[in-house]
Amino acid sequence: MSSDAFLFWFLALVTVVSGLSVVLMTNPIYSALSLAMTMIGVSALFVTLNAYFLAGVQLIVYAGAVMVLFVMVLMLFDLKHELQAFTRGRITGAIKIASVGILSGLIVGAVTMGLKTATTLTESASAANAAVALKTNPDTTRALAENLFIKNIFGFEALGVLLLVIAVGTVALSRSKGGSHARD
Amino acid sequence: MPETNLITDIGLNHYLVLSVVLFSLGMAGVLLRRNLIVLLMCIELMLNAVNISFVAFSKFNGKIDGQVMVFFVMTIAAAEAAVGLALAVSIFKRFKEVNIRFFEHLKG
Amino acid sequence: MLNHELLIAILLLSPVVGFLLNGLRFRSKNYMLAGSIATAAVVVSFVCSVLLFLQLLDADAEHRRLAVSFFEWIAVDKFKINAGFVVDQISVIMILIITGVGSLIHLFSIGYMHHDKGVTKYFAYLNLFIFNMLILVLGDSLLTMFVGWEGVGLCSYLLIGFWFTDSAKAAAGMKAFVTNRIGDAAFIIGMFVLFVTFGTLNMHELNALAPTVLDSSWMGAVTIGTMLLFIGATGKSAQIPLYVWLPDAMAGPTPVSALIHAATMVTAGVYMIVRLDPIFIMAPNTMMVIAIVGASTAVLAATIGLTQFDIKKVLAYSTVSQLGYMFLAVGVGAFGAGMFHLMTHAFFKALMFLGSGSVIHGMHEEQDIRKMGGLKKYMPITHFTFLLGWLAIIGMPPFAGFFSKDEILWQAFSSPRGHWLLWLAGVLGAVLTAFYMTRLMALTFWGKSRIDKSVHPHESGLSMTIPLMVLALLSVIGGWIGIPHVIGSALGNIPNMWEHWLEPLITKIPAVAGEGVEHGDSSLEIILMVVSVVLAGLSAISAYVMYTKKEGSSAKVAKAFGPAYELVNKKYLVDEAYFAGIINPLVNLSRNLWYYIDVNFIDKATFKIADVANGGGSFVKALQNGNMQQYAMYIGVGVVVVLSFVLMR
Repeated sequence: MSSDAFLFWFLALVTVVSGLSVVLMTNPIYSALSLAMTMIGVSALFVTLNAYFLAGVQLIVYAGAVMVLFVMVLMLFDLKHELQAFTRGRITGAIKIASVGILSGLIVGAVTMGLKTATTLTESASAANAAVALKTNPDTTRALAENLFIKNIFGFEALGVLLLVIAVGTVALSRSKGGSHARD
Repeated sequence: MPETNLITDIGLNHYLVLSVVLFSLGMAGVLLRRNLIVLLMCIELMLNAVNISFVAFSKFNGKIDGQVMVFFVMTIAAAEAAVGLALAVSIFKRFKEVNIRFFEHLKG
Repeated sequence: MLNHELLIAILLLSPVVGFLLNGLRFRSKNYMLAGSIATAAVVVSFVCSVLLFLQLLDADAEHRRLAVSFFEWIAVDKFKINAGFVVDQISVIMILIITGVGSLIHLFSIGYMHHDKGVTKYFAYLNLFIFNMLILVLGDSLLTMFVGWEGVGLCSYLLIGFWFTDSAKAAAGMKAFVTNRIGDAAFIIGMFVLFVTFGTLNMHELNALAPTVLDSSWMGAVTIGTMLLFIGATGKSAQIPLYVWLPDAMAGPTPVSALIHAATMVTAGVYMIVRLDPIFIMAPNTMMVIAIVGASTAVLAATIGLTQFDIKKVLAYSTVSQLGYMFLAVGVGAFGAGMFHLMTHAFFKALMFLGSGSVIHGMHEEQDIRKMGGLKKYMPITHFTFLLGWLAIIGMPPFAGFFSKDEILWQAFSSPRGHWLLWLAGVLGAVLTAFYMTRLMALTFWGKSRIDKSVHPHESGLSMTIPLMVLALLSVIGGWIGIPHVIGSALGNIPNMWEHWLEPLITKIPAVAGEGVEHGDSSLEIILMVVSVVLAGLSAISAYVMYTKKEGSSAKVAKAFGPAYELVNKKYLVDEAYFAGIINPLVNLSRNLWYYIDVNFIDKATFKIADVANGGGSFVKALQNGNMQQYAMYIGVGVVVVLSFVLMR
């Protein structure tokens, strides 16, 4: 077993287990910490996929900023262990789990059934782009930057505006007393 | 190509299946959990799962566009988390409640 | 001289301006201002009419036709209607009557209506009526005529029900409207038939095409079309069987009765037939029906008039009867005589209605002639003018009514389409007319006073008496323009101006050998004339004796006739018959349809459908339970379904 394969299986195990615990932990703070673990695992997966810049961003934005936000909000709420962490309806619960299971089964089935084509696609793509991929592999950050700032500059700027709007909106929301109709 | 070893030869499909599993976990959480904050966390989980498949496609197709999309998704996810949490905070301040079943004002 | 297009435009638009000026400030109670505006508007129209008349006089006899088309109104394939108007020998007479008599009645209304709250609205309606009436008579196609036809119907409805707070008066307006609807429906269908037959509704073209009918097999269509038009005319002109609305229409203000229900609107049917005379001549069966209906209406209405005690009702039945004469005239092909009687009748009947208005006004809204009598002393002007009108209507020479009525009777006798029975009916009508009009005069103005002591009758003001005097003058001299040949030649070659004037437009009935009487038979004409005048005179004298000298004799006569008198007094129970035969079955049918079909079937069916929708809604509502996770589940299930469909394919 190569180191690549070992790394993948290890990281897959970490992310799936921590993801599972996000869903199953009744105490929200454990969920949050499990999510942080998942983020870190995903970040490491990005490294195995040669996306070094994204891995860093993932760590900083998700594991850093977003998770800190979540945890801080949880602390603000001072939530105790929940008595009803999950929905109660039996029929709906069954339907929900069934639909999730069928969905994932469908996709996995589709992916594995399409193994042949996927492999050939990968092969042809790698054959065609082998040189390019090898050449760009060490320098994906530069390629990402070029793509982002040249090809997708408009979307990038739009994202900037969006973030500004979100920042203002968030401040406004958290300062309000819970809905415009409740100005008492 | 000789018979591929499912364990040792890590290909696109492995990443895709992992992505599906994570996505399903997140979806199950969204459907089943009652805590508003945990719901938001599960949504983040789903987004991350999608990100994995994006990056995997990017690598195995040798095109950088997938990573650019991940960049966008991350931004949106951060924004969504910020707004969602702000809403949660403001709702909690008003009702002292984060159970999603409490907010059934859209009843037909 | 102004060109005729401008004159016609002013003629038509002046009443509209008056209508708008008064209609937009209809709450005003300033009767002087409202009346002045309205009267001025009509006087302007009258001046235009006179100028147009002078222009026609200047022209050659062959070219007396001023046509104008303001714009193309409807153009659908071959169906083209212009907003076109024509002033010719016939319509100029009508516009002179409408605007002339109309302005006198407007003037009268100022005095008559001055105490009324809705006086401004009243004058607005009057002006609107004048406008519609002008459109009716000037329109160059049947459709433009129909616009005015409907417009005058509307104004008639509005003015009959003018005091609509009284439910009986409102009902009278409704009755007039509904009865007219029946006729109007027939009129419309008649237009369809004529359009299909001739391919045009323009009256000039229709008349030009009419002679071609003989050569083809269209006769049936023409008969049906003209018959339907005549049914329309019976509605508007109050002939059997649709006359019932006119007596009830007396619920409106008296000047309205004078203007609309005596002088102008009700003559529209006669005018329409005279306009289309070439076509009607092509339908002898229709003509015969018209003559018979006219003659029987003349007699029937006159008999009812004998027994009425409401001063306006007597005049109303008299109007129906006189309209019957006009239809008798056009029915036997004497279109000129019909128009002549239309004009003289407009003069003397407007005079009598205004006179009755003056009486009612002076008696403080009293209309029952049993509570009058001896008014001669209190109302000398009204009495004198009424007297002249009375002499005119009973056909005493040389008053206006004599010439026109005599002309009709002679034509009924001598025309190729005439018959001695029609003449007899006419004479009978004349005798009855003389009787009931004399009775009206005697009970109202002569004899002993039966006036209630609390009522102090007084003569009306100048604005009311001036129109009376003018109309009285016209009632005297109005007939002199149509002096028959026999009298004219005897008095030294006085020409029959009327016949001469209308000659180019009035089609002569083609004489059939062996039928009718030679027109030159002057001795017979004089004999018949003398017979009718003498009979009418005797009748008038007997009525005079009966109602002034020997009081109570009338009651004896009534008793002697017993049931017959009762029947006539109750107007032959025509209204009751209509109710029993038509209206009540219709109402019952509608009620049953409503109850059994609408309520039990249609309503229930729609309610069932509503219930289904409701039930479905409440079922779907359960899905919308506010639980967001459930909504997310729906999304998930949907994704699964779509995805499995895509992948399993």
